[in-house]
Amino acid sequence: MLSIKDLSVAVDAKQILKGLSLDVPAGEVHAIMGPNGAGKSTLGYALAGRPNYQIKSGSVTFNGEDLFEKDVHERAAAGLYLSFQYPLEIPGVPALTFLRTALNAQKKLRGEDEISAPDFLKRVRELAKTLKIDMDMLKRPLNVGFSGGEKKRMEVLQMALLEPKFLILDETDSGLDIDALKVVSDGVNALRAPDRGMLVITHYQRLLDHIKPDRVHVLVAGRIVRSGGPELALELEAHGYDQYLGEAA
Amino acid sequence: MTLSALDIFDPSSYPTRRDEEWKYSDLSRVLREAPKKPLVVRTLSELDSEPDGFVYFSADEAGFDGLQAAADHAMQKGHGRLYIDGNDFGDEDGYLGYQGHGEINVAAGQALVVFEDYTGAFDYAVHSHLRFKLGDGAKLTRVVILDEPETAVSVRQSTVETAPDSVFKQYVFSTGAKFQRFETHVRHAGHGAIVEMNGAYLVKDKRHFDLTTRVSHGEINGVTDQTIKGLVKDSATAVFQGRIIVEKGADGTDARMRHQALILNDGAHIRAKPELEIYADDVQCAHGNTIGALDEDAMFFAMSRGIPEEAARAMLTHAFVLPVADAIEDDVLRETVLNFLENVSEDFYAV
Repeated sequence: MLSIKDLSVAVDAKQILKGLSLDVPAGEVHAIMGPNGAGKSTLGYALAGRPNYQIKSGSVTFNGEDLFEKDVHERAAAGLYLSFQYPLEIPGVPALTFLRTALNAQKKLRGEDEISAPDFLKRVRELAKTLKIDMDMLKRPLNVGFSGGEKKRMEVLQMALLEPKFLILDETDSGLDIDALKVVSDGVNALRAPDRGMLVITHYQRLLDHIKPDRVHVLVAGRIVRSGGPELALELEAHGYDQYLGEAA
Repeated sequence: MTLSALDIFDPSSYPTRRDEEWKYSDLSRVLREAPKKPLVVRTLSELDSEPDGFVYFSADEAGFDGLQAAADHAMQKGHGRLYIDGNDFGDEDGYLGYQGHGEINVAAGQALVVFEDYTGAFDYAVHSHLRFKLGDGAKLTRVVILDEPETAVSVRQSTVETAPDSVFKQYVFSTGAKFQRFETHVRHAGHGAIVEMNGAYLVKDKRHFDLTTRVSHGEINGVTDQTIKGLVKDSATAVFQGRIIVEKGADGTDARMRHQALILNDGAHIRAKPELEIYADDVQCAHGNTIGALDEDAMFFAMSRGIPEEAARAMLTHAFVLPVADAIEDDVLRETVLNFLENVSEDFYAV
């Protein structure tokens, strides 16, 4: 579903990813773990198309299409969703307006009918209830004044609403207390499906207790240095990343 | 210079760049000679009521005679809303000049909402001076839309005198003109009085907009809050001169000023001069002034959710000035201003 080959990415002339290769088939959840500065967030941003992230070499195909041929919003419409580690505040734009604009923009690009206001509100209301989000909060400008946990719940609400084919979760567990982590993880798990892939970027094993991965990859200094099953996450938790730092250098 | 010193028909009274407060808005350069006086003498309009509960007052050609009677009528009718409709039509051959003065007193305990809607066409030079006076506990909300043509020279000045426990709220929305200055001087009475001086400007092409405000706190325990948001593009110029003076003895003053603007392309200018002059000891004052470009991180965030670049830019640009309009309490006026901004901001979409 998502196939990354020999990807090298520079940010502000600094090489961050150095020949990263990775395949995530449909229906699987892969975790990327690694120390600070390894390039975990860079991978997410590069896939989503953040400006100033320069693709030096390599290729990414998403459902058989060249991902880098597409603009940022086209990647979203094609089904790629990046959940931000620090979701941005959008002053002056009520969350509901933002959500409906995004959903209809994607539908329009895919040649689908736009969702009507009543259908949209019904759907949002259901999702908000599941995610324990107050409808009043959705009338406020998106993420403005929201707590860390509220912002992450909003991220999950957006992914559930937009129904992307592939999710990249960038440090989704950061800033969450135990209860919020459970709500967010349940929301993500509800989206697991045979036709949907996920890439879970995290520092810690903790999130993977809730969102169980099929494969775990260790990212150090811009490269995948080891891949394995779920047990690899436990091993990393016990022994740390030190053993890989020497190898990468 | 004092506000009343300007006479649009007397070029020797025009301020120049040598006058510090007019440094960035040089009227004498734009208006090189006195404008022509109109030939037709305007007739006073009948007081009328609009469906939304406004008393209608025509202020065409800067005619403000009878303004107090209209305001009294509005307050007595119970709705307390006055619609001042100013249309200025000029010539295509040199400026036609209009000048007028008006006064509104809001007596103790009374409340009035004033909506001023100024528009026009062709070449005209207008100067107006309105005086507002509030009694103890009175409340005056002033919502102003300046929707003037790019050929107009417009200087609209006002002085406001508040009283203890009174509330004065001003919201100004402007697209500028060839030369446009909106100036408000407030004498703050303190003793629980609240003053809000808000506004938003969206200025493009070669337009010039100058928003100058002065709030003087002479007494204890006065509150002033000011939020100004602005957008400039093309080769437009916006000037913001906000001055809050806290005189000696005006302890307990709480004054806050914010000016936030976006320059949407190189070539557009903003001259901002926020000033706090504090001569009292026990006060809380703050001012912030930020001028920059659209937040590219927010742009990326919106685009990553599927919103195309142009639409994202439009949404975020529009959203930048909206909070000022959202704060208007009167439902009808809030909707009116939001519609105005919606129409105007369409031109600010593309870079």
